[in-house]
Amino acid sequence: MFRNNYDNDAVTFSPQGRIFQVEYAQEAVKQGSVVVGLVNKTHAVLVGLKRNAEELSSYQKKIIEIDSHMGIAIAGLASDARVLSNFMKQQSLGSKMTYGRPIPLERIVTQIGDRAQTNTQQYGKRPYGVGLLVAGVDETGPHLFEFQPSGLTHEMLACAIGARSQMARTYLERHLDEFSDCSRDELINHGLRALKETLSQDKELTVDNTSVGVVGLAPEGSKSKIQSFKLYEGQETLPLLEALERSETSGEAGGEGSMEVDS
Amino acid sequence: MTSIGTGYDLSNSVFSPDGRNFQVEYAVKAVENGGTAIGIRCKDGVVLAAEKIVTSKLLKPGANKKIATVDRHVGIVSAGLVPDGRHFVSRARDEASSWRGVYKGPIPTSALANRLGSYVQAYTLYSSVRPFGITAILGGWDSEAEAPVDGQVGNGPDSGAGGKIQGAKAGGPGLWMIEPSGLYWGYYGAATGKGRQAAKAELEKLNLSSGELSLVDAVKEAARIIYVAHEDSKDKEFELEMTWISSLDGPTKGKHEEVPKDLLEEAEKAAKKALEGEVEEEEGTKASATEDQQMEE
Amino acid sequence: MEHFPEAWGRPRNDIYGPYDHSYLQTTGPKAHTQSPAVTGTSVIGVKFNGGVAIASDNLASYGSLARFTDVKRLRVFGDSAIVGFGGDVSDMQHIDRLLNSIDIRENYSSDGNLLNAKNLHTYLSKVFYKRRSEFNPLWNHILVAGFDGDGKPFLSSADLLGTTFSAPHLATGFGAHLAIPILRRLFPEDTPLENISKEQAVEALRECIKVLWYRDARSLDKFSIATVTKDGIEVKEDEKVEAQSWAFAETIRGYGAQVN
Repeated sequence: MFRNNYDNDAVTFSPQGRIFQVEYAQEAVKQGSVVVGLVNKTHAVLVGLKRNAEELSSYQKKIIEIDSHMGIAIAGLASDARVLSNFMKQQSLGSKMTYGRPIPLERIVTQIGDRAQTNTQQYGKRPYGVGLLVAGVDETGPHLFEFQPSGLTHEMLACAIGARSQMARTYLERHLDEFSDCSRDELINHGLRALKETLSQDKELTVDNTSVGVVGLAPEGSKSKIQSFKLYEGQETLPLLEALERSETSGEAGGEGSMEVDS
Repeated sequence: MTSIGTGYDLSNSVFSPDGRNFQVEYAVKAVENGGTAIGIRCKDGVVLAAEKIVTSKLLKPGANKKIATVDRHVGIVSAGLVPDGRHFVSRARDEASSWRGVYKGPIPTSALANRLGSYVQAYTLYSSVRPFGITAILGGWDSEAEAPVDGQVGNGPDSGAGGKIQGAKAGGPGLWMIEPSGLYWGYYGAATGKGRQAAKAELEKLNLSSGELSLVDAVKEAARIIYVAHEDSKDKEFELEMTWISSLDGPTKGKHEEVPKDLLEEAEKAAKKALEGEVEEEEGTKASATEDQQMEE
Repeated sequence: MEHFPEAWGRPRNDIYGPYDHSYLQTTGPKAHTQSPAVTGTSVIGVKFNGGVAIASDNLASYGSLARFTDVKRLRVFGDSAIVGFGGDVSDMQHIDRLLNSIDIRENYSSDGNLLNAKNLHTYLSKVFYKRRSEFNPLWNHILVAGFDGDGKPFLSSADLLGTTFSAPHLATGFGAHLAIPILRRLFPEDTPLENISKEQAVEALRECIKVLWYRDARSLDKFSIATVTKDGIEVKEDEKVEAQSWAFAETIRGYGAQVN
């Protein structure tokens, strides 16, 4: 049988210039349940599908608040995500402490990217087995970033990673033009719909398996400049799911174009 | 490929019986698949340009910069593994800042190229690391003005800093390209990444060593060359990114900056136009491309 | 006759007492800077409608000696903040290098996230506090002028202990004694910022610099003055105190040659 000799560690290039260990780590991301992120002009939204190991066990956390202006959604090895999120929390706190400024999103994403890169160039280390969506606001408005085990990071308008995430991405691409000018609630709704696209026939979104995180700029005239990161879980997601359902029933009647009549 | 199956290509820092380090050669393969990056050095400045393939509609347009600022006067663009490129840039920034810490002035581009060359070379020496999967182009402008004494209180003597030679010329543009082996050369025009062959052929036509090309014209040529180099992967959409560094009395005042939007758009428009006009000359271009391929060997 | 050659040329023990070896002692407590060496004194700042004005003279003293007379003690950071330094000049240079390296770091990315004056002040006060906690203070008193995160004019001070203080008008050094009362009279505490124009603020600072030149022996009649507004930073570094009149000096009693 053919055996690949070039995939034993992250410090060996294949003759094509590929690093298989890193590519395998990307596969770990695809094993995780799906998370979706998207931005408009004022807000950044993360939605995630939580999984439980068995009927009676709790659900695995998918969205983590890093600071009041930023949160992440994870797909892949949750323990690797915890290492990264702890690091991000420290960096964010450090920025607030020394400069009195919420850390710019690009800055912190670059930092975790650089950390991840180190794991792909040194023997005895392994790449992180997790992908992240980082959503937040800073001085320049709302942002969404994708982070991959290779250390690659991209700023996105919308993104989905994890199992069956291709379906969500297809939805996002199709509706991309609607995002930038829609409202906060509509943005959440788009996120949930993209998430729903990835579900297999027998599954549906419930208050138990759905997580939503929202952060954004505060409306004009408010005391504070930002609307702090808000995580919706459990019963709190009910109104969001109901809004989703309403939009779908009205959407079926009017076709895709008129789906945004509610909320 | 003769290297496969011999076992000499499975670890970094190992020579094959004919004296090759295959892991470094494989790293070069990673570079050859990366987006095209070029640099042009002219008398009054340096231009860096990169082709950014748009891999997804969901990417934010205009974000995700490929060309990085290292110090006020130096920029780097690389082709190959993007995270490796960021590692490289981060090291370059550390070098530039530590140089300032010691010498109280900006690092000369030649010194930075030298230090980065050494750094990259060190990653070919040990089996515990892998080489950088990038080729980086480093462009900068060394100030031609007399460097002030650090922390100088007041204006000091009118005759200037000590050891000054009347009429001596200092500073100027610098363009360097550093390969995965740690090897680096100085260039008038440098190209790397997927479209490097076509880009090199175009760069050679510019007759850069004569010093006749102006910085603004170099910006336009750079845009055109990236468009030409993209011809082979026409089916993929791409964004053009350009930065420049001029002399102290030029448009960027010795700083590494993004090319202003209006100039970028003008250059892009001209590039598209030039490309349409080039169809008739196709034969000539092909001839010099094959020539170039031979030189690569 | 002293018969021990090693003692030749030394102060005689029988007259001056034995040599005090404690001066050469290498053990004992480690001491850092106990006092500043070359110093600048007053920096004064006033907020006005739409910005902040700040001024300092161009003198660096070595004790009571006017050692350097063309020292720029106002340093510009980026395009939105000015730091005015009182206290040790070499420590000022050190902090200036810190500011330079931050400026370079902040400009790695062109994304528009830049440190404002308030962020800068927070950072500098932390630097001061860290150093004093190591018993190795940076011997300065600084004013930071610019804008805060909401785009409102910002003026605040930090000193060698890490103490921070903010007010519509501030001064360091002798200016804290001589300039503040003048500024308080010109712009009483409850004056809304909207009522103070840039011209008024600048004029007030020039007046304060003049009074300091009259009455502070460690001051100079050459000074720098700068304003930060939304349109950018304006710095003038070679100003001179105009229209001097020393007539008031005649009425001063108790100093100099006259006795009564």
